[in-house]
Amino acid sequence: MVVALAMPMLLLAPAAAQGYDPMQPQAGAPAAGGFDPMRRQAVGQPSTPAPEGNPELGGLPDAPGAEDTFYLCSACHSIRMVTQQRVSDQRWDYLWDWMIQEQNMPEQDEETREAILGYLKTYFSSER
Amino acid sequence: MDFLERSGRAKGAATASQVRKAEEEHSAEAGRVETGGPATPRRDFLKGTGLAALGAAMGLAVPFQRHFPDGLVPAAFAQDTGMDLMPEKDGLTLLNDRPLNAETPAHLLDDDVTPYARMFIRNNGLVPQTALDKNAEGWTLTIDGEVDTPLELSIADLRNDFETVDLALVVECGGNGRAFFQPGASGNQWTVGAVGCPRWQGVRLKDVLERAGVKPSAVYTGHYGNDVDIAGDPDKVVISRGVPIDKAMEPENLIAWSMNGEDIPALHGFPLRLVIPGYPGSVSQKFLTRIWVRDQVHDGPKMGGYSYRVPAYPVPPGTEVPEEDMVVLTEMPVKSLVTFPATGAEVPAGQPAEVRGHAWAGNGDVAEMHVSLDFGQTWQQATLEPPPNKYAWQRWRTSVTPPEKGYYEVWARATDRNGVQQPPVTPGWNPRGYGNNMIHRIALFAV
Repeated sequence: MVVALAMPMLLLAPAAAQGYDPMQPQAGAPAAGGFDPMRRQAVGQPSTPAPEGNPELGGLPDAPGAEDTFYLCSACHSIRMVTQQRVSDQRWDYLWDWMIQEQNMPEQDEETREAILGYLKTYFSSER
Repeated sequence: MDFLERSGRAKGAATASQVRKAEEEHSAEAGRVETGGPATPRRDFLKGTGLAALGAAMGLAVPFQRHFPDGLVPAAFAQDTGMDLMPEKDGLTLLNDRPLNAETPAHLLDDDVTPYARMFIRNNGLVPQTALDKNAEGWTLTIDGEVDTPLELSIADLRNDFETVDLALVVECGGNGRAFFQPGASGNQWTVGAVGCPRWQGVRLKDVLERAGVKPSAVYTGHYGNDVDIAGDPDKVVISRGVPIDKAMEPENLIAWSMNGEDIPALHGFPLRLVIPGYPGSVSQKFLTRIWVRDQVHDGPKMGGYSYRVPAYPVPPGTEVPEEDMVVLTEMPVKSLVTFPATGAEVPAGQPAEVRGHAWAGNGDVAEMHVSLDFGQTWQQATLEPPPNKYAWQRWRTSVTPPEKGYYEVWARATDRNGVQQPPVTPGWNPRGYGNNMIHRIALFAV
């Protein structure tokens, strides 16, 4: 939107008009050490630059922890449920416990827990 | 049998690597498995996997092995998500395919009465087989709890014993607009299209409750359906929410068997569902089997914790609010959409261009509608048509004239009967991202 306001004429080309939506939730660089009320929630794009999502892992970016994340989470729900999220570290911790307590997710050993939560907090975070 | 207890006791419940192994074994076996019919990969996985591996995957090995012979997959495990019905939908954005959730782009919500093809899909669980088969045989609705006479009603009883009414009613997901909260709120990242206003035919919830005789001790309703847990636990109630008894007695609430003159489609709650407008859509239970009148606030799944709850007091974005400070989300806020033109449309500079949409409010009729073409600096009043009935959305329309070539945005702002207006930014951050009624904006290019 900033670009659109600064250079409106460039966007008048029909190609630019196609599909442009000012309400589109967009990925933004996280505000350094503070909350920016004008920044919108991102959907479908990792907040941390990451390799292209691996289609064999439901679109999770390849990185340590990706496979464990895929096999644990997709046992019950689609990986789309994961890739949509941009939540805080504390919220991921909460969701992990909620999955076990309310949604029957099997307990994992500490190593696996750290691998998966570390992966989620890296690529599907509101903090980085 | 208590499922949680069972799975909790399972020795060495599945690790991610065990689950991976189960799926790898499936791949090896897949070649010899014939499923017949349009099988999804998941069905292949389930049918091609030994029960032990399947049980390991779900953390359930021992009990299921005891009860099911080899090669037989518990029905719930093989249950469809409803994804096979997606071709019946027109242009919806898929957010999640297990459970199935999809929203409608704003410009596809232009119809006064939302057709099936453009009605958003919200599921907490899997679509029950009864709905997929369109099989309503033997279906009953139980009314019990704080009533003088508990009832068990067939659909024929409902049709024959009560007045049938037909109303256009808005159903909107409580999390519609969640995608704009920052920091993000967990759940499906709905933008603006988890809303629709079909016509619903059925009987008044009030009439049925009065037939049963609501006791003075009644406080809340609790709604139940037969949707299926996404992990296949046959004993798990997927979602059971309710409303305060005063809300339940409003005359617009329906126990409906028809949407837009047809049987309610599988994805929308066949054969029977509640439609309780003004509240988050989750109170409008699909696949309805039971209404339990409670003597306390209902405590079914998704009534507690952070589900459909908001902080009792305003919090800074990103706050970890203690669970005991969360209160049930009730009335939905005033809201509107620009449904024509689609965002990014080109219009001639210096000429009037029609813009239109719908407006609705959780407390009933919308009072006024305004539109801005200059980023909210000036506003013009739009024509607002009366609704066909309370809790239907209302058509608004006006025309805007871009003075010269360039980039414009149409902002649409509804005002409810109390003078409350939609805000230009996300209101009241909350941990699960409910109740975002920020102004809808579309881009307009004057050429």
